[in-house]
Amino acid sequence: MPLDIPLKNFHEINGAKMVPFAGFNMPINYKTGIINEHKNVRNHSGIFDVSHMGQMLLEATDLHINNLEKYIPLKLKNLRNNRSNYTFLLNDNGGVVDDLIVSLIDINRKSFLYIVYNASRKNEDEKIFFKCAPNAEILHVKNCLFAIQGPESIEVLNNVIEIPVDMHFLDIDVLKYKNNSIIVSRSGYTGEDGFEISISTDQAEIFVKDLLENKNTMLCGLGSRDSLRLEAGLSLYGHELNENITPIEAGLSWALDKDRLNDTALNGNKILLNQLHNKPLNKKIGLISVNRSMLRDGMILFDRNKNNIGKITSGCFSPNLNKSIGIGYLNLNFDEEKEIFCEIRNKMELVKKTNLPFVKKNYKKNGSYNE
Amino acid sequence: MGVIMSEKKYTKDHEWVSIDNGIATVGISNHAQESLGDIVFIELPSVGKSVNSKEEICVVESVKAASDIYAPIDGEIIEVNNSLEGDAAIINQDAENTGWIFKMRVSNPSQYDELMTGDDYKKFLEE
Repeated sequence: MPLDIPLKNFHEINGAKMVPFAGFNMPINYKTGIINEHKNVRNHSGIFDVSHMGQMLLEATDLHINNLEKYIPLKLKNLRNNRSNYTFLLNDNGGVVDDLIVSLIDINRKSFLYIVYNASRKNEDEKIFFKCAPNAEILHVKNCLFAIQGPESIEVLNNVIEIPVDMHFLDIDVLKYKNNSIIVSRSGYTGEDGFEISISTDQAEIFVKDLLENKNTMLCGLGSRDSLRLEAGLSLYGHELNENITPIEAGLSWALDKDRLNDTALNGNKILLNQLHNKPLNKKIGLISVNRSMLRDGMILFDRNKNNIGKITSGCFSPNLNKSIGIGYLNLNFDEEKEIFCEIRNKMELVKKTNLPFVKKNYKKNGSYNE
Repeated sequence: MGVIMSEKKYTKDHEWVSIDNGIATVGISNHAQESLGDIVFIELPSVGKSVNSKEEICVVESVKAASDIYAPIDGEIIEVNNSLEGDAAIINQDAENTGWIFKMRVSNPSQYDELMTGDDYKKFLEE
């Protein structure tokens, strides 16, 4: 049985259609539908309840950091305070156990690593976290997580809490809402400017109601979250990423600390070093369907002679392009000038290769997780 | 074009059918469009094709998923709603009228009689 998130009733009252996702009943969309929510985020803003995601607090001691550096390809000792970093947990082969955001923050004058990770990977990730830091604290049992995304998200939030004017993309801070501490980062996964807020479950509903006082914002579900991240060319665990793909194969080598690849203490460091110097076999690409038929995860790519040349890992309708788009892996031996076909319902449909992202990112400067 | 309805009947696959002069007009029910969500693409059946009831003959795709449309009864496809090719969202706006999908010449009218009435379909949805 899927679990409920704390605001389940609130979402249902507000017209959410709930579907099981990663072990939780989650809003996939509200009354006006995925496309409308998507456009509202691009043009104004939207509020996503992502309380299904994992949130962990680990005391940032030398021991914990040393232990974690076996799995995380960053110089954790050098993390800057009040900054978030997109990174991974790696297995022995350099494959991706999960992709996550690791931030360094102070809570009650103590330094913590605050980690946000995928709901679908909680078991695997938490095993590693507790091995590295037995006294780690699972925060998602008492805090909800919301993402406010879109060019107007700063206005929506500023109505409710005071956002420091010098807070840029991937900055994070502990701020006050009605005298209680909340964790606010300028981040998200839609390609737009936005914020993620971790807030006590007791205050979550009143907080969201406060945000909704802004009449141009709306509740948005996981359906539009997916089409937004896909347009932004962002990878999703279980689609572009899994235990058998390394960050380099996934086109995410920008997120690796290159010095750490020489460190034998890092899982899979030799494999990763090797891949960095010899191109991997596959390349992550964007695809656009020439007719409007939808590209979907798992569809196979062919050349004109019906040779298998790759596959699609994510697909959806792009409201911004008004076309069917996908992300996939293409075999690098394939001559990129040639036509690519996708098998859709036993028919070979022509698809066009394109660079990622489909829609330009609109982050508020400093740092990036551009791909 | 407008569609003139005889009594509308429904299949368990959430399609509606109305027959006029031996020609059946077929679409998906309002309930079906609601549960599919935003419809973004339709692959229409080929005109002239002979089909058997329960045969998959075309596909509607919403943002989330593809779903098959079945022939509700035996017959031959004689017309498709081409306006859906440019704007499949018509189905969301008006599934049981201007959002019709295809017309077929019915070869076995008794199959129509066996379909659910509007009231039966309502009960079916509640089950």
